Amino acid sequence: MSSLTRRSFIKWAGAGAVAAQTVSFADIARAAERRALPQGTPVLVVVTLYGGNDGLNTVIPYTDSVYHSLRPQLAYREDQVLPIGENLGLNRSMSGLKTLWDNGQLAIVRGVGYPRPDRSHFSSMAIWQTASRTGVKSGWLGRWVESQPVDPFLAISLGSTLPPLLAGTKRSGTVLPLNGLRVPSGTLATDLARLSVEGSADSRLMATASRSVRDLFAVGNTVSPILKNPAPPAADLPTAIGGNAGGESNLAAQLDVVAKLIAAGAPTRVWSVSLGGFDTHANEQAVQSTLLGALSTSITKFMSQMRAVNQSSNVTMLIYSEFGRRVRANASQGTDHGTSGPVFLVGGGVAGGFHGEQPSLHQLKDDDMAVTIDFRSVYASVLEHVLLTPSDRVLDTAMPKLPLFVR
Amino acid sequence: MFTFGGYFDFVSTESRRVLSRLVHRVGFGPKPGQFQTMLAKGFSASVSDLVYSARPAYGDVKVVLGITDLGPQPAPNSEAVVQYADSKRGQLRAISLWWLDQMVGQDFPFHERMTWFWHGHWATSYAKVDEPVVMFDHVDRLRQHATADFGEMCEAMTIDAALIYWLDGQLNSAKSPNENLARELMELFTLGVNRYTEVDIKEASKALAGWQVVKSSGLVYRNVNRTFNGSTAILGRTDNFDAVSLARFLSQQPACQRFIPERLWFRFISSTTTPAVGSDIEIAFAQRQILPAIVAMVQSEAFADPQNDLVKSPLEWLVAVLRALRITPSTYAQPDSLLSLLTALGQRPLFPPNVGGWPGDEVWLSASAAQTQIQAAQTLCSRGDLTPVTSVPASARVDALADWLGVAGWCDRTRSVLNGAVSDPRRLVTLAICSPDYVVNQ
Repeated sequence: MSSLTRRSFIKWAGAGAVAAQTVSFADIARAAERRALPQGTPVLVVVTLYGGNDGLNTVIPYTDSVYHSLRPQLAYREDQVLPIGENLGLNRSMSGLKTLWDNGQLAIVRGVGYPRPDRSHFSSMAIWQTASRTGVKSGWLGRWVESQPVDPFLAISLGSTLPPLLAGTKRSGTVLPLNGLRVPSGTLATDLARLSVEGSADSRLMATASRSVRDLFAVGNTVSPILKNPAPPAADLPTAIGGNAGGESNLAAQLDVVAKLIAAGAPTRVWSVSLGGFDTHANEQAVQSTLLGALSTSITKFMSQMRAVNQSSNVTMLIYSEFGRRVRANASQGTDHGTSGPVFLVGGGVAGGFHGEQPSLHQLKDDDMAVTIDFRSVYASVLEHVLLTPSDRVLDTAMPKLPLFVR
Repeated sequence: MFTFGGYFDFVSTESRRVLSRLVHRVGFGPKPGQFQTMLAKGFSASVSDLVYSARPAYGDVKVVLGITDLGPQPAPNSEAVVQYADSKRGQLRAISLWWLDQMVGQDFPFHERMTWFWHGHWATSYAKVDEPVVMFDHVDRLRQHATADFGEMCEAMTIDAALIYWLDGQLNSAKSPNENLARELMELFTLGVNRYTEVDIKEASKALAGWQVVKSSGLVYRNVNRTFNGSTAILGRTDNFDAVSLARFLSQQPACQRFIPERLWFRFISSTTTPAVGSDIEIAFAQRQILPAIVAMVQSEAFADPQNDLVKSPLEWLVAVLRALRITPSTYAQPDSLLSLLTALGQRPLFPPNVGGWPGDEVWLSASAAQTQIQAAQTLCSRGDLTPVTSVPASARVDALADWLGVAGWCDRTRSVLNGAVSDPRRLVTLAICSPDYVVNQ
């Protein structure tokens, strides 16, 4: 595991100009050793689906007459789904996830949400990401970051800005743009490195400012060469013929970066990626199945890459959206903002199968499904089993845990 | 050592520090030459120049920029919807660049600095409001009241269309109250957290009920079918409160006299400490006048205390750099790149992350932000006017740089790096604006 840090720090120091003049290589190597993930440390990959994914057309109660009567134009028939038991079927675009389900590596938690659901994308996503509705501004994983020793590699989000879930009060996760951090080069880089050397007279803020530039060199120099490497092979996947003509979705690109870095032994325990576009108020079937297909394909490929580098039993993926959608279709073949929805967990260590109760369509309140599982119970289980941290420290409340993991 | 063009020999570090804080925190950083003028004039005169500057004549901005009610959204996949979306994007862009132009262009941008402060206070996002004209009116309302009477500001904002829509006021009816607006009004806008009870919030949401918004125009109206008729008991007073009288009442609470100075302190002095109870700022705010509170704040010992350094937020950093480099946002080669830059740094105006406004200090200091700022600095320095350093001999450039950018002083580490770059002005300035000494206002 420490090979990444050691190799890249050697590279960094060897590349010379920048580090050699500023920081002792021995110091860095020691820090790298301390930071390296012990063998077999679990890793969490959070996949946020922005827009409110329609859970009912993801895990489909295809035999339910209410389902068909409330959304006749949108409902899928039995021959249009991938049955997974209990009269439920996966959206037919998710054949990859169906395979993971068959292999016991997909756990589906049903009816997940929170009491008195908020229908605003913004507010509901804030509730999910902060795990609070009392005005707490820090994200649940940001609070976890703050409970750990300082390390810029600890939690990394792919994309351009830090998602609220990784924001802490004083410290946050690291944002890694998709193409990596572009570390300055040449004389400017040498000067910037000198400009960011730790100074004994620095105020707290000055010290943080110079650390941010040092982090840029540390993370950027470590990550950039790895991103130039080919991604790990997904050897056990059959070669697709004809499909996937549209090229990679953005999620696939993000997960490819994550796969490269995990394969290289990154000392990162939380990764955050996302896919947008689930706000399907109109023409839902076409849009959603495209997105779910991209989701399924990227996740399947990623897990296959993890198997190729012997990491599949360490990696857990958590896939959620800010709310489900209303049962009744609207007038434009879409659905409006609803309440609960399924949460997926994928990985070698998850207890595959159904968890939680499917909300009944015969006891709707204002056409909305009930919430049968509080999402914080899912977080609590993930915190304890994947991040090895007492969940009440992060969630500020003791939540019942779910048997989502086999170990 | 004699340094040509620098005031290091004549002005104390303390004076430089407090003037640097004045120009960066209460303004948006100096234009070329302004900091030297401030050093020559001294603190009191500099406060007068900045804080008592006349409010600029803005003219009929909406007409000039073509900001209009775009009407309801046309049907999906229609031809009209394409036109509609283009107009919306165009208007949002025009508003955003116009505001940046004001911040960058005004000699003494105190009113814009305070409008920006209040934008982070009554933090409302275009992401939900989604109507350019409604957001323009929202910010303009903040601008009208930015340095004046806080009670009047509260009255105006409580029935502001963007704020009502943002906080679901239009869903609030007396029969099924939505507490969102009432809660934030007390917690974030007037009193501070826990300086009220849950009962106060329930009662206040009744008093606020019934205000609805025409989304595209921002017209607000009272729907009598949704209002509450009767008296409510709020913070110990029973009265026939409505939205406006409630707002005024909240602004008159003792908690408000404590809270607004706390917020000023957080943004202008320190994010880690709070003002003493009964501070001069509180006293100056007794009549709920904003300007006297600002004056008391800049004259307080805390404003000059060396410990109270503060990180320039991304917008403050960018605007200060643009002012120094004489770059006007709307006529810049790629104006949209400035908006993208602010988005990448997480602080695009009109898009606060949540109703609590933007965070402060350390949160801005990430490796990713450093990368983005360094890249932007390189581009901006290749396009901007570097005359203030190129016009002086190489040996005088490091001190001239401090005067130009309004920096109190360079720490030894930075000074030594800058000294090594004096023969390459572009690199010199890039390093200076990316240095901890500039990113953190000392």
